[in-house]
Amino acid sequence: MKASYNWLRELVPQLTATPKDLAARLTFAGLEVEGIEEYGAAADACLVARVTAVRPHPTKSGLRLVMVDRGGPQQEVVCGAPNVPEPGRLVVLAPLGAHLPAKNVTIAKRAIAGVESEGMLCSEDELGLGDDHDGIIVLPADATAQPGTKLSAAYPAMRDTIFDINLTPNRPDGLGHIGLAREVAALYGFPFRLPSPAAGTDGATSGTVGDLVTIEVQDAERCPHYGAAAVVDIAIGPSPAATRYRLQSLGVRSISNVVDVTNVVMLAWGHPMHAFDLDRVRGKKIVVRRAKEGEKLTTLDGVERTLVADDLLICDGPNGEAGVALAGVMGGASSEIQPDTKRVLFEVAWFDPRSVRRTGRRHGMHTESSHRFERGVDPGDVAQVLEDAVAMTLALAGGKRAAGRMHVQGTRVSGEATPPERRALKLRARRLPELLGVDVPFGDAVAILERLGCEIVAKDDASVEVLVPTHRPDLGREVDLVEEVIRVRGMDSVPAQLPAIRASRDVGGHEELARRARAAAVSVGLSEAITYAFTSARALEILGAPTPTVLLKNPLGEHHAVMRTTLLPGLLDAVANARRHGEREVREFTIGPVFLAAKKDGDGLPDEQLRIGVVLAGDRPGWLEKPQPLDAWDAKGYAVAIAERLGGPPAVVGVVPASREEAASLAPHLHPRGAAFLTLGTSGLRIGSFGPLHPDAVEALGLDGDVLVAEIDLEPFVDGPLLPQYATIPRFPASTRDIALVVKDEIRAGEVESAVRAAAGPLAEGVRLFDRFVGGQIAAGFSSLAFRVVYRAADRTLTDAEVDAAHANVVKSVGERFGATLR
Amino acid sequence: MGAETDPTQAIDKALADLREAYLPRFRAASSEQGLRDENAKILGKKGELTAILSLLGKAPPAGRKAIGEKVNALKQEVESGFEGCLRALRKVKREAELSAPPFDLTLPGRVPVAVGHKHPIAIVREEVVAVFRQLGFAVFDGPEIEHESNNFTLLGFPPDHPATDMQDSFWTKSNHLLRTHTSNIQIRAMKSLKPPMAFIAPGTVYRRDDDATHSPMFHQIEAFLIDRHITLGHLKGVLAEFAERLFGPNTPVRLRPSYFPFVEPGAEVDIGCVFCKQSDGTRKGCSICKHTGYIEVLGCGMIHPVVFENCGIDPEQWSGFALGMGLERLAMLRYGIPNIKLMFDNDPRFLAQF
Repeated sequence: MKASYNWLRELVPQLTATPKDLAARLTFAGLEVEGIEEYGAAADACLVARVTAVRPHPTKSGLRLVMVDRGGPQQEVVCGAPNVPEPGRLVVLAPLGAHLPAKNVTIAKRAIAGVESEGMLCSEDELGLGDDHDGIIVLPADATAQPGTKLSAAYPAMRDTIFDINLTPNRPDGLGHIGLAREVAALYGFPFRLPSPAAGTDGATSGTVGDLVTIEVQDAERCPHYGAAAVVDIAIGPSPAATRYRLQSLGVRSISNVVDVTNVVMLAWGHPMHAFDLDRVRGKKIVVRRAKEGEKLTTLDGVERTLVADDLLICDGPNGEAGVALAGVMGGASSEIQPDTKRVLFEVAWFDPRSVRRTGRRHGMHTESSHRFERGVDPGDVAQVLEDAVAMTLALAGGKRAAGRMHVQGTRVSGEATPPERRALKLRARRLPELLGVDVPFGDAVAILERLGCEIVAKDDASVEVLVPTHRPDLGREVDLVEEVIRVRGMDSVPAQLPAIRASRDVGGHEELARRARAAAVSVGLSEAITYAFTSARALEILGAPTPTVLLKNPLGEHHAVMRTTLLPGLLDAVANARRHGEREVREFTIGPVFLAAKKDGDGLPDEQLRIGVVLAGDRPGWLEKPQPLDAWDAKGYAVAIAERLGGPPAVVGVVPASREEAASLAPHLHPRGAAFLTLGTSGLRIGSFGPLHPDAVEALGLDGDVLVAEIDLEPFVDGPLLPQYATIPRFPASTRDIALVVKDEIRAGEVESAVRAAAGPLAEGVRLFDRFVGGQIAAGFSSLAFRVVYRAADRTLTDAEVDAAHANVVKSVGERFGATLR
Repeated sequence: MGAETDPTQAIDKALADLREAYLPRFRAASSEQGLRDENAKILGKKGELTAILSLLGKAPPAGRKAIGEKVNALKQEVESGFEGCLRALRKVKREAELSAPPFDLTLPGRVPVAVGHKHPIAIVREEVVAVFRQLGFAVFDGPEIEHESNNFTLLGFPPDHPATDMQDSFWTKSNHLLRTHTSNIQIRAMKSLKPPMAFIAPGTVYRRDDDATHSPMFHQIEAFLIDRHITLGHLKGVLAEFAERLFGPNTPVRLRPSYFPFVEPGAEVDIGCVFCKQSDGTRKGCSICKHTGYIEVLGCGMIHPVVFENCGIDPEQWSGFALGMGLERLAMLRYGIPNIKLMFDNDPRFLAQF
């Protein structure tokens, strides 16, 4: 909402605060002033000047040399405007050094087509007063300003300070200057007198509005009050400068005197209104009704709209068959004010905010009118607004008013409005300190409410009963009155006090779970990505992820139309993005839910399962060696390390390579040769998978290169890491024996290791593969696996003989089992 | 020369020769091994001194003891000479090693694991959670896909309120919605537990905005405290404590009345600008705070009685406050991140900065 400082001062004459102070006061009362603009700042720098002589430019035909009297010396300026007036008329001179902010120029001496000019005659556009740049400003013939007077002194309407107020949606009263003025007066403790315009009845026509038009409201629920007044014999023309400047300063284009009236009245009262050309109202009848399903209406913006039965329409025609406006949102072209309009009918109505809102949203329309109606305009000011419009029309466009007004309120049609009922609220004195934590003298609190327009109907020391003014629909219960009191007094009057907090316990545990997973992933060198929870059905299909069951009704696009069932799409996007920027090294993780079908016995909401996803691309971090691309074993390393950190030291994290069949059915997004599952605990619960991304998926997702992925369920870790239990540290030394076995390639190292472990017997404390060698003297199709076995007894130092015996069994049994030969 | 010749003189001579010779021989050794070899030649099992000692049996018994003492004395001399030379050699070697050219520590360091990075939003999230935990708040989890009632209706959003609009919320085909704020947790907590309660709810939220300054998915933290006689003053107290703990000492807090449907009174909270703070605690004004010395960081208010009533809590008996903040904004302020979009691109060059 743009608000004029001058206008507020006209409405609150006692106000002396500077614009800056006023802005701060409003902001700290909840009406946030986001910006302060100077309107017509150039008018401070320009002078009124009288044209004394005009002669042609010696060389250039479009230019003239204008001699002006600027209250002392005469001065000649070069002017290119087509409308230089004859001598005697007053114009606006920007003298040397004048700064024109609208054009960001400072007037300097310069030669125009060879003739020196020491100033400029200005247009409204150049002064930032309007968008008229067709010619210079020529003050009216009857203007009396003395040449040399500062322009803003001669014409105060050209100068104003404009506030940009960010109003919260609960304060429709602030959408008009009268409401703002009432607020300002309350904040400063000044009395406020509502302007009570009355056009009077002098010179009114003998006929009444009712003789000119019939009004029928078919939906009184959505339009409980429709008021109308009319002025006849008007002359459409431009508005006077002061009106134009005021509208311009508030961001509204001046159209014509009568249209301007509707806008000025709206900006004054915050109550949108509409002007009909009465002679273009078909059948001399206005009907307010719901639209028919599929009915068409072309609104003023030239768009043909297809309506639904929920839209409220203003119609004309004998049976109200023709729509002329979307009620409270926008008018239609058929009955708008034209240059030849002679009779104007003003509509001031109250439309149901929700209805206006739905219609506006449905048709993608947001107008000054709908903005106000959907927040709730004052239902109690219809008569005053109509009177103001009529009075201003008589002043600006002449004519005569039709006698009386018409107020259609439900079944009641009358010349006088029935005031709407006001809400009664009770405020108990004790609630102020109870909710605010500060003592407020009750009398002060009540005074604040009165200043805001509340009427006191009963009061004692403990409580007060008030009637809430109709312009404050937001005051609905006692606590709203408490807020008004502290809002006006200022929240800085409440002392801060740290409460004694009775601590609660975590519910759910996912924040802590995610924190631990994050710490685990960061500790192994991964960086955290935050990925969108929505993705495309196609990406999920490519990855062979579960079919999404949570589909968005109104997604931003197909790429974000479903809720993910795997964390991978967002991570793979990150890889694609990085690669597009030439970054090949990506080692990232993301933590978040996947969205699966609702559980049967649940609350109907999707099953949100917290997971961690990992993506790896590029080379393995190393130290000055030849870079090696990350491979499946890196994926395994990261996945296992994260699970182990999450599970705690006692956790048993296993890896089960997927068979081709399992890979195809359970992890189709993984390379079939490199797919594996992660297990937790001795039961082998599968908690995730990892491996190289399937080359088909790499290709389909346009990833431009290999990627490794892992995805782990976090839910199994929600109870926190397992507690380690202390085990005695061995007192006796260990003996180690190494064994290198040459086995066929298809025999997996893990199997050999298990066999070694089994064969080594109870004295073997640990078995570790420490070397794998192929090529050289090893025949093709074979590899050499070297294991180190650590033998130890808890109660004695083992003898060489004992160790040798145990190890001999390893050599024998593993050799027999795998046909392995010693190397 | 007969076997019975008294070798005493020969022994004395040999000992005297060895006494003369051992030290120069040790000193001539240029390496520890050389020194040890030389030492072995003298003191070893087959060494010179052993050889000398072997003559002892031929000496007259009366003189043997004296000879033995001489041999032992020389042995000790040699041993100590050896130790001395060994120390000297080691010292020379140590000094040579110490004075050799320095390591090139401009070469990259070896790190056991290349360091990983938390997302800036996560860092801020953990910090805010930690601050509230210190104050006695616990975390209450909730889903990201929510019933309309928990997200809007029970919070007192009027029907057809702007925020309930199709334009602003993502709806699922099952007529649930992606929660538009973490305030749904207030409802879930109040419906499932009895006051008093002190909870925070960090989480992901969604709104149908996607432009230069909005992401359709973003993060909030909600905190709420419900007990008997909780006041606006308590809210201010917690805010002041939060600001000082998160942003440092001398961080002033101010409230501007504002409107959120589920609180009354409601306010927006500004804190002293963290960018133009001076050493004396004042702010000199900067472009970030638009020269006001304050930046807006969160919204808050006293929980609206209608919310209590909707959850079966008597607003005459209990009162409380709620506050909520956007984590993206906090992260942007804290780290000087100019554009919210940067936080969702997951560019490794971005993530590595935090």
